Amino acid sequence: MSATSAEAGPGPSWWRAGAGRVVAGTVLLAAVALLPWLSGTDPAMTVLRARSADQDPTPAQLTAVREELGLDQGPLTHLLHWLGGLPGGDAGTSWVSGDPVLPQVTSAFAVSFTLMLGALVVTVAVAGLVSARTLYLGSRRRLRQRQAGTAAAVLAALPKFLLASLLATVCGVWLGWLPSSGWEGPASMVLPSLALGVPSGAMIGGLVEQSLPAAFQEPWARTWHAFAFPPGLVARTALRRVLAGVLPQLLPTVVALVGGAVAVEKIFNIPGLGRLALDAAVAQDLPPLQTATLVLVLLGVAAGLLLQALRRALLGPALRDGALSTPPPAALPRRRSTRWIAGACAAALLALVVAGLLRDPLRVDTAARLLPPSLTHPLGTDSLGRDLLARLGHGALRTAGVALAVTAVSAALGLLLGMAGRVSAGLTEVVSTLPAVLAGLLTTAVTGPSVWGAACAVCLVGWTPYAAQTAALLEEERASGHLLASISFGAGRRYLLRHHLMPAVLPALLRNALLRLPTTVLVLASLGFLGLGEQPPTPEWGRLLSENQPYGELAPWTVLAPACALVLLSVLAVSGTASRASRRRG
Amino acid sequence: MRTTPRALLAALALSPLLVGCFASGEGGTSTGTGGGAGGRLKVALAVPPVQALSPYSNDATVLSKLSVAEGLTALDQNGVAAPALAKSWRQVNATSWTFELRKATFQDGAEVTAESVVNALDHAGAAEVKPRVLSDVTLTAKADDADTVTLTTKTADPVLPLRLASPALGILSPKAYGKDGTVSPVGTGTGPFEITELTGKTKAVLDRFDGYWGGKAKASGVDVIWIADGTARANALRAGDVDIAEWIPTAQAELLDADTRHEVPSVRTDSLILNSRSGIFTDATLRAAAREAVDASALVDSVFGGYADPAQGLFGPAVSWAADDRVEVTGRAKAATAAQVKGKTKGKTLRLATYTNRTELPEAASVLQQQLEKVGFTVKQDVREYTQMEADLLAGEYDALVFSRVTLLDTGDAVAYLASDYTSDGVYNIAGLKDGKVDEAIKSAAGEGDTEKRQQNIMRAEAEILRTDAVVPLVHEKVVQGIATDVEGVLLDPRERSLVDVDTHLK
Repeated sequence: MSATSAEAGPGPSWWRAGAGRVVAGTVLLAAVALLPWLSGTDPAMTVLRARSADQDPTPAQLTAVREELGLDQGPLTHLLHWLGGLPGGDAGTSWVSGDPVLPQVTSAFAVSFTLMLGALVVTVAVAGLVSARTLYLGSRRRLRQRQAGTAAAVLAALPKFLLASLLATVCGVWLGWLPSSGWEGPASMVLPSLALGVPSGAMIGGLVEQSLPAAFQEPWARTWHAFAFPPGLVARTALRRVLAGVLPQLLPTVVALVGGAVAVEKIFNIPGLGRLALDAAVAQDLPPLQTATLVLVLLGVAAGLLLQALRRALLGPALRDGALSTPPPAALPRRRSTRWIAGACAAALLALVVAGLLRDPLRVDTAARLLPPSLTHPLGTDSLGRDLLARLGHGALRTAGVALAVTAVSAALGLLLGMAGRVSAGLTEVVSTLPAVLAGLLTTAVTGPSVWGAACAVCLVGWTPYAAQTAALLEEERASGHLLASISFGAGRRYLLRHHLMPAVLPALLRNALLRLPTTVLVLASLGFLGLGEQPPTPEWGRLLSENQPYGELAPWTVLAPACALVLLSVLAVSGTASRASRRRG
Repeated sequence: MRTTPRALLAALALSPLLVGCFASGEGGTSTGTGGGAGGRLKVALAVPPVQALSPYSNDATVLSKLSVAEGLTALDQNGVAAPALAKSWRQVNATSWTFELRKATFQDGAEVTAESVVNALDHAGAAEVKPRVLSDVTLTAKADDADTVTLTTKTADPVLPLRLASPALGILSPKAYGKDGTVSPVGTGTGPFEITELTGKTKAVLDRFDGYWGGKAKASGVDVIWIADGTARANALRAGDVDIAEWIPTAQAELLDADTRHEVPSVRTDSLILNSRSGIFTDATLRAAAREAVDASALVDSVFGGYADPAQGLFGPAVSWAADDRVEVTGRAKAATAAQVKGKTKGKTLRLATYTNRTELPEAASVLQQQLEKVGFTVKQDVREYTQMEADLLAGEYDALVFSRVTLLDTGDAVAYLASDYTSDGVYNIAGLKDGKVDEAIKSAAGEGDTEKRQQNIMRAEAEILRTDAVVPLVHEKVVQGIATDVEGVLLDPRERSLVDVDTHLK
C-alpha cells in the first residue's frame, strides 16, 4: 500500500500480479468444484431433475445416478480427474447429457464473445454520444459549466432485460426489421447488442464525461489552445488522457457480459455461455460449470492484460517516468439546471413514496387486474390487481436502502483492494467476469436462502469496477509530477493519501458508484429465484420490474412505472451529488 | 487518427471469427424456404433437449410430438391404447401378452422385426436410470417369430398396452443403441419424420421419411427450434419466424391473434398441497379451514387469464372419463373458524412454498396468501427455483405448496400419479399423507384390470384423498398452442404427446 510501490521495479510486482491471478483463479475453481458438497442439495437429485422432470426421486434411482456419476468419490477426485483431462483437450462429459463438455462450452463462448463484441461497439458509440458535448466544448475552451450527467444517468438506469423485451417487441415483432430471436447471422446481433450496449455505454460515457473537464484544465491544453492547435487534436489528446483511467471499466462492464447476460440471452434465445453456465449451475452439473468458469477466468485475465497494455500504450512513457501533469481540481461551476433537476427528481420520488405509503401494497383484487392508470389507481394495477403506486412507494426505502448499502460496501471494498496494488489486480480480473448468479449460488450454499445472502452475493462480485478504477487512477496519480514533488518535500504516507491520492480517486469513484446504483437494484432482484433477497409478495423495485416483465406489452404501465422510478433514483443520485459538490466549492 | 489502421486490422482479424460463430446455425435454414403446400414446417418447442433426444429422458416427448419414433401402441383421443407398430395384441394370461407387429421399416432401412422390438425394450429395461414408465414394473420381451412378440411382466399389469404407448418405450433401430448406454434417435425411428441433424440444444432438422408404413407425410420436413423463454416463443410466432409455437404463456396469449390461439385442456392440475405430516396442518380442522378459504375461481380469470378451469377434483376435463365417474367426497373434517385458527396456530406462520419454473405459480401463491390470511392464518412465502427446494419439499419443510402436477404420467394411467403422490410409502408424497383408507383405495385401483372398473376405482381413490384435505385442487390448466393460420392438421393433445403428424401441413 505504499505510495511508491510503482517504483518497486518490474520484477517482483509482475511476479506478484501473476501469483495473484493464479491464486484467485484456483480458489474460485475449487469453490465451484465444491458447490454440490457445500450446498447440501444432492447433485443426484438435481441431475435427475434436469434429465427428467417427472421422474420420481426413488432411492433406487438416486443411487443409480450417484453410481453412474461416481459422486461418492468426493469432490477432490472429480476435480483432479477434470484437471487431468484438460491438457489433452478433454473437459469431461456433462453429468446431465453425457456429451463432451468442451465443444458445448467453446461454441457457447464463441456466441457470447461475438455478442460481447457487438455490445462493445454499441458501448463505444453510446459513450461517444454521451460525452460528445463536453468533448466538443472543452476542446474549444468553451466549457463554462459542468454537465449534470443526466443523460448518462437516465440511460445507465435502463434495465437491460426491459430494453431487450422492448426492442424484440418493437423492432422484431411490430416492425419486423430484425429477427426477434435466434442466432442466425449478423442481423440477429443488432438488437441484443443494443440492449446490452446502451446502458454500458452510458455508464462508460458518464465516467468519461466527468473526467474530461479536468483534462482540459491541464497546462498542455491551455498552451495548445493558445498556439491555435486544431480543436480536434486537443479533443483527441484529452480523450486519450481520460480513457486511460476509464478503460479498466470495460472489463467489469462489457467483458463481463460474456457470462453475465443471461436475461438478454433468454429473451433473444441466444445459445450463449451465460445460459449454459446457469443451467449447469442449477443442475449442479459440475464439468460444464467448471469449464465455463475456467473460460471466464481466462477471459478475465486475458482482457485485463490487454486493457493494461492499452492503457500503457495510451499514457506511454509519462506513466513510467512520473511525468503526468496533475489534473487540477475542476473549478467549473455546475449548471444551475443541475440543482433544478435534482430538486425535481427528489420531489417526484418523495411524492411517490408518500402517496404510495398511504396505500396498501399487498391487497390482491383479481377483478381489478391490469387496470390502466386512473384516479383510483394513479399508476395502474399489476396482474393481480395490486396498486402499483402503493407497491412502488412501499418498496422505495427498502430498495434504495439495500442498493445504497450494497454499493457503499462494494465501493469501499473496491477502494481497499484497488489500493492494495498489483496483488489484487489478479483477483479483480478473475472476479470481474464472474456472473452474479454464480456468486449467488456459492453464497446460498454457505448462508442458505436469506435477505442478507443476496446482498453478500452482490458485494462479492460488485467491488470489481471500483477496484479497477481505484488501481488505474492511483497509478496515474503516483506517476504525476506533483506527487514526486510532495515526496521530495518530505510528505509522509498519510499526508499523500489524504491530500493527493484520495482526492484523485474519490470523485470518480462516487460517480461510478452512483451510475451503477440501478444495476445493483436489478442484480439484487435477479437472484430472487435462488431464494436470495426479499420473498414475495414484499414489494421491491427490482422484483416489480421482473414480475411485470411478461406483461410489458399488454400493460406497459406495469413496467414503465418502476423503470421510471429507477431512472428518477439514478438521476437524483448523480445530479444531487453534483449540485452538492458545486455548492461546497462555490 | 493513429489508431485507425490498428482498429481496421483488428476488425479484419475478427470477421472470420464472426462468420465462424454463426455458421453452425445456418445449416438448417437454407432448406427451410419451401413454403406453400408440402413445404417445411417450422416449430418452436419449449423445453430444450437435455440428453440429445434420448428416449429415456425428458426429451422422449419430442420424439412422439414430432412423429419421429413410435411405440408398439399409441393412445387415442380417449386415452385408450390404439395400434401403432403392433397391429393387434391379446392378453394370454394375467402376466403375459402377445403383440402382432405390422410391416414397417426403420428410417435407416432396416426392417422392424420381433428381434428389434425385443432389443429396444431390453435396452429400456436395462437403462442405468430407468425410464419412469418402467419404474413399477419388470418387463421381459421374447420374440416368438418374425412378427410376434410376447411380453411378460413379473406381476399382473393390467395397463401394459397403455404403458407401451409411452414415448420412452419407442422402438428404435438396433443401430440407435450405443455400447456405452447412449441412445440416439437420429435416423433410427419408424415415424413419418426422420431427424437428420441435431444442433446442440438449439435446433433440429427433420426430413420426411418416405418409407413410413402409414403413407408419406404431407409436409416435406420440420425445422425445430427450441425457445425456452415463453415471450420469445410468442414473439417468434407473431413475427412469422415459426408456424407453430407450443405453450404460449398466459401473459402472451392475449397478444396473439384470436385465430392463431388454440387452447387445449391439459392433464396438468395445479393444487395446494397441505403438509399433513408435520407443522400446523397436522390438524385436520385447519386443513379444512384452508380448503374453505381457497377460492380457485379467483385464480382462473386473473392469474391464468381464463386459460384454466376451476378444479373439479384431482382430474380435470382433459381426463374424459373423470367427470362421469366422480364420487362425492364425504366425511371431511369440520373447518376451524377464524378464531379457532388463530388459537390453534398459536402465532405460528404458515410457510407457503412455490417455485418460479412456472410463472403462474408465484402469482397464484400471492392470491392464496391473501385468501388464507382472511381466515386467520399468518402466511410467509418462500419462492425459489424448483431444484433449489425439492429436497426441502420432500423433507416436509413447508406447510403448504402450490404445486403443478401432470396427473397422467408416462403410463397414461392415473394410478401411477396417485400411488407416488398419496400412498404412505409414495416417493413423491409431499403432502406426507398416511391414511389407511387412501392406501387401500389406490391399491384396489392398481389391481383392477377392467378399464371401466379401474376408472371407477380411481375416482373412488380421488374422493378418499380429497376427504383428507391434504390436497386442495385449484385449477386444471389449459395449454395455449400458437398455430399460424396457414397450418392445417396440428394435433391438440391434452397429454402433450403429439403435435405434428403425417397430416400436418402448410396450406
